[in-house]
Amino acid sequence: MEPQSLLVTLMQSINRHEIPIAVVAAALLVAAVNVLVLAQDARTEPTNIAGEWRLDNNERDTSSQAPLGDYTGIPFNDAGRLRSDTTPESIWGTLEYQCRPHSAPHQWRGLGGASILVEQDPLTRAPSVYHFQFMRSLDRPVFMDGRPHPPAYAPHSWTGFSTGEWIGNTLKITTTHLKDGFLRRGGPQTTDMYAMTEYLTRHDDILTIVTVIDDPLYQDQPYVHSTTYTADLNNRVNMETCNGSFAENGGTDRHYVPHFLPGENAEALTEWITKGGLITGGARNPANAEDWVPLIAARGGMKTLYPEYRSTLNGSVTVEALAVPASRSAASAEKMIAAQSPRDGQVHVLPVQGNVYMLVADGTNITASLGPDGVTLVNTGAAQMSDKVLAAVTQLAKAVVAPTATNACYGAHCPGRWGWSSPYINTVITSPAPAPPIRYVINTSAAPQYSSGNEKIATSGSNTRSGGFGAAVETVEGAAVLAHENVLSRLSTPAGNAGAPPAAALPTVTYFEDFYKLPAFFNGEAVIVYHAPEATTDGDSYVYFRRSDVISAGDLFSTVSYPTIDVAKGGSVQGVIRGLNAILDLAVAEYRSQGGTWIVPGHGRLSDTADVASYRNMLVIIRDRVQNLIEKGLTLEQVKAARPSIDFDGRYGSATGPWTTQMFIEAVYRSLQEKK
Amino acid sequence: MKTLVITAAVSLLASTAALQAQQPGRGAPPPAAREAAALDLTGNWVSVIVEDWKWRMVTPKKGVYEAIPLNPAGRKVADTWDPARDEAAGEQCRSYGAANIMRVPGRLRISWQNENTLRIETDAGTQSRLFHFAAAPPAGQPSWQGHSLARWEYGPARGRGQARLGNLKVVTNNLRPGYLRKNGAPYSAGTTVTEYYDLNTLPNGDQWMTVTTKVEDPQYLLRHYLTTSDFKKLPDASGWNPSPCSSR
Repeated sequence: MEPQSLLVTLMQSINRHEIPIAVVAAALLVAAVNVLVLAQDARTEPTNIAGEWRLDNNERDTSSQAPLGDYTGIPFNDAGRLRSDTTPESIWGTLEYQCRPHSAPHQWRGLGGASILVEQDPLTRAPSVYHFQFMRSLDRPVFMDGRPHPPAYAPHSWTGFSTGEWIGNTLKITTTHLKDGFLRRGGPQTTDMYAMTEYLTRHDDILTIVTVIDDPLYQDQPYVHSTTYTADLNNRVNMETCNGSFAENGGTDRHYVPHFLPGENAEALTEWITKGGLITGGARNPANAEDWVPLIAARGGMKTLYPEYRSTLNGSVTVEALAVPASRSAASAEKMIAAQSPRDGQVHVLPVQGNVYMLVADGTNITASLGPDGVTLVNTGAAQMSDKVLAAVTQLAKAVVAPTATNACYGAHCPGRWGWSSPYINTVITSPAPAPPIRYVINTSAAPQYSSGNEKIATSGSNTRSGGFGAAVETVEGAAVLAHENVLSRLSTPAGNAGAPPAAALPTVTYFEDFYKLPAFFNGEAVIVYHAPEATTDGDSYVYFRRSDVISAGDLFSTVSYPTIDVAKGGSVQGVIRGLNAILDLAVAEYRSQGGTWIVPGHGRLSDTADVASYRNMLVIIRDRVQNLIEKGLTLEQVKAARPSIDFDGRYGSATGPWTTQMFIEAVYRSLQEKK
Repeated sequence: MKTLVITAAVSLLASTAALQAQQPGRGAPPPAAREAAALDLTGNWVSVIVEDWKWRMVTPKKGVYEAIPLNPAGRKVADTWDPARDEAAGEQCRSYGAANIMRVPGRLRISWQNENTLRIETDAGTQSRLFHFAAAPPAGQPSWQGHSLARWEYGPARGRGQARLGNLKVVTNNLRPGYLRKNGAPYSAGTTVTEYYDLNTLPNGDQWMTVTTKVEDPQYLLRHYLTTSDFKKLPDASGWNPSPCSSR
């Protein structure tokens, strides 16, 4: 009999007095006990994973560091291999990387155990946030409350942004917004355009962690690995302080970027197979040589991951000829990169720090300082975006200067309120103050994407001018437009047949020295404009908001493309690198090589020192490769054909559009030929 | 009052009934393992050798037992590894036993032998494992795959009418002595192998099976030997390539 039928019959019997009430009461008691027992068994809450965990796994990646050049089991493509081959472990010596924690793909394999803490909803006790903590790591929250991931132009971190959901006994964690790093200690690299998915399942006292690293720029298929931890009440995650120093980075050059030229270290990459492992004093022990590993397999690759590979061991078939059941990537690097700089005709606002906001206007970043003194904009974007930029700035300025809030003041003694008989009523019967005006526009270059909005936006603002002795300060229409003097030259005498822009679009204040300071604090802080000579052109500036601790980098820095170096207008790759180094000298990471000073790029996501360093490193590596090819006597066309930037092209390059990889390589080549 | 009591009793009985409906095996004969499955492992699978590639895809030289917590007795045995001797003795399948078979590169075919027995076949070494969920037959003589008892590990209850998700736990013993690595790292007849089978759907749609294996051998291991092995589900049996055990 079905439970429902049983209940109907029971009710009918009770109503006909066929079952005495005493029996019903007894049944009540039994049922209550049953409900308690069964409810306990039919648990609805997820498995408890909170607590102390000890890394407990007997696989190579967790028991020891893989030797240099060991890519076995990694589905690398050519770009991933080249990047890893040319990246020495001494990259950790660069100032901006000295304190970075393990990269997210390797974190579960680092020593020191893990603490998993849980925040619970106070009413339901459902986990709202898990916190993962490892030695050398930052607190890594995993949000369980269903919140969305941030927009793609939000910053990336070493641990990324994670959300989780329980699926049966398994906690599935999805992580985005990750910085570039490594898959394993010892070399195998990642880009910053990978997605990470983890599956945590507790079995008795064992925690199994499956990690999926989907990096379509460096891998032919997702890299999936798994490891285990054991519950250990006595485990304590040690904290390791970081004491970085110049000495670690070659001792004398704080901007030194260690790297190998392609092929330069080919022998070193295979010594673990041919000569044995390193022993004391830098010698190698032949007895440790892992000489049973085929050299071709040491290079990794998707086709070496499947059992089909074994058919190559007798030489009857090559690895290239194998057909394997390959997997596909679920990630699109192109989409992820494009999303950092959405060209959607809209203005997106990202609060940064202190007074400063980042506005993404159809893919171009505008930096805004907002406060009681008014608005300063670093760049104005493209002309066709001006109306939307103005609307966004006005709305933001109103919200910042006079935020909407309910009355919180009662009685006759409301502090800071004006009025006599009933001061608080004026906080209700009111209207919002107008947005403060745009006082300054700062152009970091003459490029139209940054400055063609000047006319409409600058003229909408106002500034002040002293009336001289005895005269009142005068308000003048239009914001002051500030730029390096070469920007004024470029704008007022445009190349080709382009006409000069109207006077209202031109800089009204120019500088020609190393830097220029706004004459007074603006919104309570110093604003300093620095010149970056011979960078993308001869007129680049970057702007430092000192108390907010934000740098607006202009065209020097982009997270979505190679720098648009215009050699004919005085630009050079060396100058861009010098400019980036100057930004790095100014900026300070908050902790563990991330956060702290925020850097707003000309295009792309909000960044920090490590991101700028990554971009600088990329430029140094490509510059040195091109220089090496020039010294070998290669022509420009031969240099292009050699593809010296193959491991970065997927990330920053483009085959089409106004700034292609070929154009960038040509700019590097020409600027090196001119010895700038 | 009477009505109130009756109503309360009926409500509680209803709760009991509803909860009982979610409990496999309560108040009625337990459902067969196949019906009560917490996850569906059946189908064709291929191992993806991402970890310990150099010890699994190819055979390391004698004496390479790094990461295996062998005790002195175990090392002594490992140091005498002689594949020719194993071949002569008909012992080529020593590295294909239950303690290591999931680490061997190859394909799996998983199916229900009957309502309470899950069967795993491997093309590498043509081995066959039987996971008994109930009424397990007598253990019999030790064998490469030993005797395996299995049970589902259920996750929390889900919505009404939805099957509970979970994992599979398998404990195997009664094993014939074998190798944890093809180059002779030994395990003894007294070994217990505990395995946990997880199934996840990756973002690219791949069905991914991860087997967590804990090997406990008081004779040759200092402590347990813990590894994970990963498999991807295939749409069909293509690539199934039965091959005999090899000691090299």
